[in-house]
Amino acid sequence: MAVGTHGESYIETDPPGSPGRQPQGGPGHGLDGLAQVATKIRDAIESVIEGKPGVVRLALTVLLAEGHLLIEDVPGVGKTMLAKALARSIDCSVRRVQFTPDLLPSDITGVSAYNQERREFEFKPGPVFAHIVVGDEINRASPKTQSALLECMEERQVTVDGTTYSLEQPFMVIATQNPVEMEGTYPLPEAQRDRFTARISMGYPDPTAELEMLDVHGQSAPLERLSPVAHANDVRDIINVVRHQHVAPAVKQYAIELVSATRKHPELRLGASPRATLHLVRAARAYAALDDRDYVLPDDIQDLAVPVLAHRLLPTAEAQVERRRPEQVVAELVNRLPVPSPRK
Amino acid sequence: MRVKMTVMAALATLASSVGLYPLFASGTWFWSGLGAVIVVAGAGLLMRRLRAPSLLGALGGLGALHLYLNARFASEQALLGLVPTPGSLRRLGELMGDGWNAANQYAAPVPLVPGIELLAATGIGLVAVAVDLLAVRLRRSAPAGLPLLAMYSVPAAVREDSVSWIAFGLGALGFLMLLMADAREQVGGWGRAVFTRRWSESTAEQPVERPDSSGMAASGRRIGVAAVAVAVLLPTFIPGIHPRGLFGMGGSGGGGSQTVTTVEPLAQLKRDLNGPNSDAVILTYRTDDTERPDYLRMYALDKFEGDRWTYTALPSSSRDRVSDRDLPTPPGLSTARFRRVNTQIKVRRAVKKVDFLPAPYAPNRVSIKGDWRAHPQSLMIYSLRDSASGRSYTVSSLRTQPTSAQLAQSGRYPSEIVTPYTKLPNSIPPQVRKLAEEVTQGAPTAYEQAVRLQRWFTETGGFTYDLNPPSPSSPNDLADFLLNSKRGYCEQFAASMAVMARILNIPARVAIGYTAGTQVGQGEWEVRSKDAHAWPELYFEGAGWVRFEPTPAGAGGQGTAATPPYTQQLAEQPTEEPTEAPDPESSSSVTQSPNPTTGPNSRPEDGGADVGAEDEQSSGLPIPVGWLAGGLLVILLLAAPMAARLLTRRRRWSAVAAAPLPSTTGPPSGAAAHAAWREVHADALDHGLSWRQSDSPRAAARRLGELLELDPPASQALSRIARAEEVARYARSRPPAADLRADVRTVRTAMSAAVGRRARLRARFLPPSTMSEFRDAGTRAMEAAGRLNAAFRWPRNK
Repeated sequence: MAVGTHGESYIETDPPGSPGRQPQGGPGHGLDGLAQVATKIRDAIESVIEGKPGVVRLALTVLLAEGHLLIEDVPGVGKTMLAKALARSIDCSVRRVQFTPDLLPSDITGVSAYNQERREFEFKPGPVFAHIVVGDEINRASPKTQSALLECMEERQVTVDGTTYSLEQPFMVIATQNPVEMEGTYPLPEAQRDRFTARISMGYPDPTAELEMLDVHGQSAPLERLSPVAHANDVRDIINVVRHQHVAPAVKQYAIELVSATRKHPELRLGASPRATLHLVRAARAYAALDDRDYVLPDDIQDLAVPVLAHRLLPTAEAQVERRRPEQVVAELVNRLPVPSPRK
Repeated sequence: MRVKMTVMAALATLASSVGLYPLFASGTWFWSGLGAVIVVAGAGLLMRRLRAPSLLGALGGLGALHLYLNARFASEQALLGLVPTPGSLRRLGELMGDGWNAANQYAAPVPLVPGIELLAATGIGLVAVAVDLLAVRLRRSAPAGLPLLAMYSVPAAVREDSVSWIAFGLGALGFLMLLMADAREQVGGWGRAVFTRRWSESTAEQPVERPDSSGMAASGRRIGVAAVAVAVLLPTFIPGIHPRGLFGMGGSGGGGSQTVTTVEPLAQLKRDLNGPNSDAVILTYRTDDTERPDYLRMYALDKFEGDRWTYTALPSSSRDRVSDRDLPTPPGLSTARFRRVNTQIKVRRAVKKVDFLPAPYAPNRVSIKGDWRAHPQSLMIYSLRDSASGRSYTVSSLRTQPTSAQLAQSGRYPSEIVTPYTKLPNSIPPQVRKLAEEVTQGAPTAYEQAVRLQRWFTETGGFTYDLNPPSPSSPNDLADFLLNSKRGYCEQFAASMAVMARILNIPARVAIGYTAGTQVGQGEWEVRSKDAHAWPELYFEGAGWVRFEPTPAGAGGQGTAATPPYTQQLAEQPTEEPTEAPDPESSSSVTQSPNPTTGPNSRPEDGGADVGAEDEQSSGLPIPVGWLAGGLLVILLLAAPMAARLLTRRRRWSAVAAAPLPSTTGPPSGAAAHAAWREVHADALDHGLSWRQSDSPRAAARRLGELLELDPPASQALSRIARAEEVARYARSRPPAADLRADVRTVRTAMSAAVGRRARLRARFLPPSTMSEFRDAGTRAMEAAGRLNAAFRWPRNK
C-alpha cells in the first residue's frame, strides 16, 4: 500500500495483521484491565528503550490521553526507536512518514487519483489513515505540509477535494524533531505545537543503560523481535476507562490556575491555551490511571506540567536573552503555586 | 496605574482623617470630609487626563475643593448652587469665622456647628490636595505622610487624652497602603519578581505586562503591619513610654498638655503677700454661710520634695469637667457632720491667669463658663485654657464640721491615703524627726498630735511671723526654720506642720489659696492679695481633709487667718496642764477624757505602731504581690501558645469524633484525614520543618520522610496519613479506615526524635503553628487590600 516516493522521503507501510503480531491475552475492564494492558505495553517498549521509564510512561500517557506526542532531542538518542516501539507493541496500523523539505501535503493526507478503469476519481488515503503515524524530523517539512497535519491531529479527519474522511480510532501522531540542527528546518507553527499533547525529550542514557544497550543491540535488533502485546481495541477500551477517571474540582481548578499563571507570567510572551488546560487534565487522567489510581492528584498535574505546557510557551525577548527556558518557568510555577487544600 | 495611586492617596487621607474624631461632638463631619476627598481625587484625575502640569493640577484640586465647599455650605448664595459669587464667598467667610470662634470657645469635642464642619472639610480637603500632589503627581509617597501626620497631630495636640490606637492604626495603615501601591509600581519596573497569586483573584485581570511583585509586597505588608503593631503595642508594655506621651504629645505645650502644672504656687504666694500690690482686691464673694466662711483653696500640694511642696502632675481628661454635675465626694468624709455652703465668687478682671479656682473646700458643684475640670482626689478645680479673671462663678461646697471627739476617734487610714500622703524623702534631718516626736510626746491620738503641733507653732514654740525671714543659715530651709530661726510666714508654718504630721504618720498636704478675707457687708466678703495663705490639711477618716492653722493670726501674724473651731475645743482642755513639759501622766489623763473606749489609736504607741504597720503593709505587700502577679502573667503568656496548641489538637480530634466515622456507610467523610493531616502540618511547623505550599500530601510526606530519615513504622504511618488525606481531598471514594490518630502520634514522636533539642523544646512550649492562624488572618486582611488594588487596576487595562 505504498503511496509514493518523493526524492529522499519515503513512506513506510506497516500493515496490521502481519505474521507474528498477535495480541496476547484479552484485557479485562476498568482500571485492572487498563493496568494489565498498560503494563504489557510498557514492558514491551522498555525491552527496546532501556533506562527511560519516565519517557516511556509519558509516551503511554499521551497514547491513553488520545493525544499526540512530540519527541524532541538530538539525533541518535532513540527518538524514532521509541516511536516505533510504541507503535509496534500495539497491534494496529502504523505509518511512518519521513518529513523532508519537498514533502507535499497530499503526501500526508492522500490524493484523489483518476482511476482509468472505473473512469472516476478515487481517493488514495495517505499515511495519516493509520492508528499510529510516526512523523520523523517533522520540522524539515515546509509549513504548508506541516499544516496539513493540523486538521488531522485536532479533528481526526481529513478533507480532500471537499470530501471528509474520518481517521482511525485510536489515532496518534508521534513526531520527532531535532532541536540542534537548524539549517533547512521550519520551526513548528504555534498552532501545530499546541496540538501536541506533550513534548518529551529522550535525554542521554546513563552509562549502565548505555552499556546494556550495547550488549543488547550488538547481538540483535530488539525492535525486530518486538511483537504486539495489545490490540487496537484494547487500547480503545482503556482509553474509555481513562475518560471516566475522577478529577476533583479542586484539581481542575489547580490545573486552571497553573495554565492561567503562564498567561500572566512576565517572562512569557505567549501563555498556554485553553486547549493546553484540556490536554493537561486529560493527560493527568491517563497518568493517574497508569499509576493505578481512579482519581487525579495535583501531583499528576505537577508531573505533567512541563511536558504538556512548556512547548506551547514563547518566552519574551528579555527572557531569551537571559536564557530562560519555558521549562524552567513552568517548573518554577509548579513550585510556587499552592496545591488546593480544603479550607480550614 | 495613576488611577490606583489617586484612589490610594484618597483612601490614605480618609483613613488619617478618622483620627480627627475626638475633636468633634458628632460624626457627620466625616461625610463632609469624605466628599472633599472624593472631589479632590476626582479633580486630580481629571487634571491628569488633561495632562495639566503638577502645580496646575494642585490648583485644580483647590478649585474643585472650593466648588465643593460652595455646594456644600453656601449653595444658596452660589450661582447654580456651585459657582462662587461674592455672596457665597462672604457666606463661607462668615462660616469660617463662626467655626473659628466655636473652636476657640469650646474645648474638644466641639459641637458640630456648620462653621466647624466647614473648617473640618476644608482642612481634610487641603490635606487631600497636598497628598495628591505629593504622592500622585510628584511620585513622592513618603513625604505625603507629612500632611497626613499634620492632620493626625491636630487631635493629638489639642486633646489631652490621646487619640485611640485604632485611629492611629487606621491612619498608619492608610499611609502604608499608599506607600505600598507606590512601591509596587516602582518595583514593578525592576524586572522579574516572584510569582504567587491565587487563581481566584486573578481571573478578572487582564494579562499584565509588568512583573507581578506580590511576593515582595506580601513581605512588605508583613513588615508594615508588624511595625504598626509594634508602635501601638510597645508603649503599653514599656513603663517609661506612656501611651499618652506618645499619642498625646507629652510635655506641657501651650494649652495642650495632658497633665497640669503651673508656676510654682508657693512663689506666687510670696509675691501676693509681699508684693507692692498686696492691698489689691483679688476677688469678692457672697456666701450663705452663717459662720465665718472657710478659706478659699486653690491648690493642694501633695508632694514634699525635701525643700519644697509641689503637686503631682494632674492627669486630665474631659471626663473631669465640672459643668453640670456633682463632683466626686470628698475623700474620707463619711461620719462627720457637714453643711452645704453656697458661695458666689467674682474674680477681679485685673487678676491674670487664674487657672485654678479659689473655692471653699470641699467643692461639690461648680457653675462656671468654660472648660473647667476637677481633680477627683484633691478636688482642685483648674482649666487647661480658661482663666477665671473677670468671671463670676458659684461654688456649692460641703463644709465639714467635725467635733474634736470625732477626730480623736478617727480610725485607721486607708492605704491609698496613707501611702501617698505620708511619703517623705530620706533627706529629712533626724533632728526634725526627733523634734516632731518631742513636741507630740504623750499625745494619745493622731488628732491630739496634730493639735499639739498646731499649738506648738502658734503658741508654745516661740515662732515669730515674719514676711521677710532671714536667709537660712543651714542648707535645709525646713530644719533652719524649725530649729534655728523660728521666723517665717504661712509658707514655712504650713510646710513644716505638714512635714511633721507626715513624720508622725498622719496624712498631710499643704493647701494654698486665700483666707476668708474681710467682711464688707451682710454675707459679702472681700479678699485681697495679702490674704493669700498656705495651710496644712490633715486627713482624718470620717471627716476627710481637715484644715489646721499653724500660722500665727492677728496683727502679729497672718491678719485674716483663723484657727478652726475643732482644733480649739481640745486645745482649751490641755491648757490646764503644762504642755511645755508633757509627761506620761498628763497624757494618760487626757487619753481618758476624750476617748475612754478602746480604739486603734487609743494609745500613742499603738497608734503609731498601727499606722506604721499599715504603712509597711501598704508599701511592702503590693511589691511581692505585684511581682507574683507579674510572674504569673508572664507564665500565662508563655504557656498560652502551648495551651493554644493543645486546645487546637483536641478540638480537631473531637470534631472528627463528632463526625460520622469513615468506616460507616454513608457519604465519604474526610474529616479524620483532614484533621490528621492538619495535625501533621502543625507538628511539622512546630518542629521547624519546612513545608511547601506547592507540595501535595504525598509530596509533602515524601519530603518529610527524606528530611527526617524516618524509620519504616513512622514512614508508613506518615504515608498512611498522606494517602488518607489525598483520597479525602481528591478522590471519589472514602479514605481507607485507619487509626490516624495513632499514626499522627507516631509521626510526632519521630519528628521530635529527628530534630535537635532546641527545636524539640520549642515545639513543645512555643509551637509556632499557633501563630499561623493570626498570620492567616493578617494575610487575608492584606489580600483584601490587594484585591482592592486589583479592582482599581482593572479599569486602566480596559
